Amino acid sequence: MNASVSQRQESDRHEQKKWLKTLFSRPEIGPVGVMLLLFGMLGYFSIPSGEFSLNPFAGEGFNALGIRNNLRVISQLAIIALGAGLLIVAGEFDLSIGSMIGFAGACMAMVLRWGFSIIIPYISFEGGVHIEFYTLIHIPDVSPLGALLITLCFTLFFGWLQGYIVVKSGLPSFIVTLGGLFFLRGLTEVSLRSFNHRPDQIKGATTVTEIPDIKNIINLPGHGEMERSAAKALPEADLTQLLSTLPADKIASITERLEYTYQRVADAKTELMISRGVKPLERALENAIESGNEFMAKTIQDKIANFKVDPVVPKSVTDVDVARVYIDSISSARPIADFFGGDILQPLFDWLYFPIDWNVNNFGNQFAQGLYSCVMICLIMSLVCYFVLSKTQAGNWIYSTGGNITAAKANGVPTNKVKISLFIFSAFCATIFAACQVFEVNTADAAKGNLKELEAIAAAVIGGIVMTGGFGTVVGIIVGAFIFGIAKEAFFYIPGIDGSFYRVFLGLVIIASALLNENIRKRIMGTI
Amino acid sequence: MAKSQTQPLIETKDLVKKFGAFTALNGVSLQVYPGEVHALLGDNGAGKSTLIKLLSGVFTPNSGSIYVEGKQVSFASPRNASDAGIGTVYQDLALNPLASVTRNFFLGREITHFGGPFGLMKMREMHRIAIDEMAKIGINIADPEQSVGTMSGGQRQTLAIARAIYFGAKVLILDEPTSALGQKQQMEVLKTIRRVQKLGDIAIILITHNEIHARLIADRFTFLSLGEVIGSGTSEDLGGDDIKRLMAGGAEIGDLAKELAI
Repeated sequence: MNASVSQRQESDRHEQKKWLKTLFSRPEIGPVGVMLLLFGMLGYFSIPSGEFSLNPFAGEGFNALGIRNNLRVISQLAIIALGAGLLIVAGEFDLSIGSMIGFAGACMAMVLRWGFSIIIPYISFEGGVHIEFYTLIHIPDVSPLGALLITLCFTLFFGWLQGYIVVKSGLPSFIVTLGGLFFLRGLTEVSLRSFNHRPDQIKGATTVTEIPDIKNIINLPGHGEMERSAAKALPEADLTQLLSTLPADKIASITERLEYTYQRVADAKTELMISRGVKPLERALENAIESGNEFMAKTIQDKIANFKVDPVVPKSVTDVDVARVYIDSISSARPIADFFGGDILQPLFDWLYFPIDWNVNNFGNQFAQGLYSCVMICLIMSLVCYFVLSKTQAGNWIYSTGGNITAAKANGVPTNKVKISLFIFSAFCATIFAACQVFEVNTADAAKGNLKELEAIAAAVIGGIVMTGGFGTVVGIIVGAFIFGIAKEAFFYIPGIDGSFYRVFLGLVIIASALLNENIRKRIMGTI
Repeated sequence: MAKSQTQPLIETKDLVKKFGAFTALNGVSLQVYPGEVHALLGDNGAGKSTLIKLLSGVFTPNSGSIYVEGKQVSFASPRNASDAGIGTVYQDLALNPLASVTRNFFLGREITHFGGPFGLMKMREMHRIAIDEMAKIGINIADPEQSVGTMSGGQRQTLAIARAIYFGAKVLILDEPTSALGQKQQMEVLKTIRRVQKLGDIAIILITHNEIHARLIADRFTFLSLGEVIGSGTSEDLGGDDIKRLMAGGAEIGDLAKELAI
């Protein structure tokens, strides 16, 4: 045998990786491309008609309010896609996420609205056999944290139960969680209807309303705890009184802000008046030119050139205005509710308005107050999931449980625990999603979260999660959520087409992603 | 090579395993010495699989005993057996083809910075150990991030063997490591086994159907037929003809003798 042949190593046949090739063999590269395409579409198509710009950020999709709204949709989807995606990596499905959202929201809202009781039914024999109820505990006022923890007890138990049934019975998780989907949705509707027998509610409604705006409860000096809107509606004397307790520099800075705002609003009004006055003249000018009436055209041109309105005089800043702005700046007395339902980055968005002059709407006011706090929650959860899946022992266990469960078991990986934990985590994500909604809008509806389980799975698949398990990344899941969330907006702005085309587009993207994922899986398995 | 004067690393005495009325093993005794390859040969249904499952803790024997380094042991689970230093490399190798070499090498026994499943994995150290351990038994891995699915059958076998040795196997049971491989890869696996043998302190039980492989690599032979040992000895004791007879004809002759005796 030739010596050089026998010394050749099997590993020599494996090509050394180049960084560019490494980059393009990353499973996320396709989805990232689609995401960038959608961003471009959203930017360019949302530029108002008649204006021209090469900068996609000039569009309405990327103004302050557009960013605020888009990031909310994306973050909420990403929160549940993380739960669904990690579970798929471990080789199981959860179809009950949507119903879990409805259930968790209803549970939280009911506890916030009516309190929490433990009631034991028993059969009473006094005065004929009938069922009596013994109230073991009744807590009328439950804090936001309490409501969240009580809800988590229920949802995490359901998550555990579904996982336990799947691993112990060996049934496909598809069918077990399909059962969960119907069970939880039904349970939510039944409980909401039965609780809405109360006289202060609409009988038979499957919603919970009239929850106080908990995240906006503030501790107003000299007045105690009250809702922000109520505080702003206090008598003017009270507001002026409040102002006298503030330090002078604080008042000065608020006054400066308000003067800027009022000036901005006045300028916007002036501009609006000019354009209102000039537009009919311009139209008349066009008509005159068309009909060839040169004298008329010249007269109108002069009129346009000399068109003037008196600039609108800005409102003067009053003490009451300053006090109201101050009330807006007081931080919430219910930090947990604010954490889930409030806003974040207000200082940044204030700064973008004053002095950066970007975050301005057509009327000269501040456009967006901040980002929804679900963006922050999504960011925290993504970082934790990324760390766990890519960097820890638990992550290796999740991958191996989905990749080859017999190998994982043979090497001592507690695959049952891994699966059950991820079912619980999926329920946790659904609960966090529900908490964000309930604390933001202060209502709950039994129909909330409908079809969300499929959206979560779709986002995960678009992000490169292989449906048979064992492969995928958290970065991919987030990219998938971006694609899913942004597609609707981007298609909405395309002129002259039906907005529902975004579903057509997503359908194609899902199939293309699944094909691509399968190709990547086979390449990694070495079968192609 | 044979070190019959030293203490056997693993020894079985009169192992009997019954499944209901069926006797799978009927009093099997064998000794395996450190630095030796002990070939376990026999036809289908001879009891090879049952024997290794007893040694690796999957089954418990009805009677008879197993000694590791002279101490009697009994295994309630595969975990007990691997804790006692018996590493079994099954035919499916227990690898996750979608994951990297390192992640497979340390599967279930990851090195982490802090305890608990949420501890950060020491990826760099794990890469280094995986490369070193595989290099020790002769395969250089260019990229420890390479997925196992893209590796050849021989490389996978080496990975599984290196893993068993690194995690403390003193006795390595290889279940038909060369079956389902191409010629060149079979040779790679045999070379790997030879390198493990040369480490000197590990005993290898090699189950194979292939007489040529057994003669190339094994120091000692045990022939099983219908649950009993029908012949054994070192490669010096047994001439090439003996091996051939026991391998090819011996089993049938043993069977025939039994049938005639009834």
